[in-house]
Amino acid sequence: MSCSPQDLRDYFFNELLESDRRSVDIHLRSCQNCREEVERLRATEAALLAARDEEPPQRIAFISDKVFEPSALRRWWRDFWGSAARLGFASAAMLSAAIVFAALTRPAPLALPSPPRAELARIEAEFSARLQQAVKAAVSESEARQAARTDQVLAAAERRYRLEREAILLAASEDHELMRKRYGRMVLASMERRDEK
Amino acid sequence: MIFRAVEDADLIRKAARGDVEAYNLLISRWEKRVFNYLLRIVGNREDALDLSQDVFLKAYQNLRKLEDPERFVPWLFRIAHNEAYSLFRKRKPESEGETVPPDASHMGVSVGGSSVFPLELSLAVARALDRLSPDQREAVVLKIYQGFKFEEIAEILSCPISTVKSRLYTALDLLKGDLAPVKSRGA
Repeated sequence: MSCSPQDLRDYFFNELLESDRRSVDIHLRSCQNCREEVERLRATEAALLAARDEEPPQRIAFISDKVFEPSALRRWWRDFWGSAARLGFASAAMLSAAIVFAALTRPAPLALPSPPRAELARIEAEFSARLQQAVKAAVSESEARQAARTDQVLAAAERRYRLEREAILLAASEDHELMRKRYGRMVLASMERRDEK
Repeated sequence: MIFRAVEDADLIRKAARGDVEAYNLLISRWEKRVFNYLLRIVGNREDALDLSQDVFLKAYQNLRKLEDPERFVPWLFRIAHNEAYSLFRKRKPESEGETVPPDASHMGVSVGGSSVFPLELSLAVARALDRLSPDQREAVVLKIYQGFKFEEIAEILSCPISTVKSRLYTALDLLKGDLAPVKSRGA
């Protein structure tokens, strides 16, 4: 360790860590200047302590006067609201109490009397029959709907086919008529040419 | 010392619940230290006594706000420090800008009386302390006379530890020059 006035002062006031304090102890054994510095600090402190503490001229004391003191209830109330931790805890406790109260006072669901077993079997049979009827009705209705739709599709396809066929026949007829006219004109032309000769 | 600290914490808890007798017992333990701290800061016995009463009254009123009873002593001295500087601020216009105007002749030096120290040394201490700035003097009072750790002094003065050390060590350099030669001559 090198000579450090700061360390020496901290050492003097016992404000060094134990390891640092040991280092200064070792250094002081070999450094005359630092030993003298510590000695001067001790002398200064001793001189300062020559000015000793005085006794106060009179004792300080308070008297308990119930007139000015808050009642126990008010003290509790003030302490309660003065502590954030307690206030938080009290709020949590009140919330928990409200949840428990709500859970306990909620009306229970009505308990219906259970029907006898024979009645239950009859109800089940009736329910099953109604269910089957409903399924059958739904199936037949669905089939009818499907058949009607198939008919519609077939009718539409047939109509489309007929119209296409008529269109093809009309086109063929027009082509035939055109060819016939061309042929007629060619015959007439050849006859006219023959007559000219 | 540990037993004493435990007892103080117990008294503080009782006092916080409104037990005036417990608080009076607590005062009796600390009034001398608080009075002497204030005396060395304000330099006047009458002011120091008045301030001491104010400090203990304010501490009683705010005792419930003290979260850790183990920190009672630095907390109490913080109140004392604030009260002293509040007094200085009130008197500032009268003293023409001087923040802290202590009188060296009353710097807590027991001149004569039952002191076992030479009168010459006591006067030299008073003169040496008077040369310090108020901040330096307070650092010396809290460290040398009251024996607080740097951390506690920083808490009382509400400033960094480095500032406390700077004030104290500058003060020590000045005091050493004045007081160490006095002792060597007297030896």
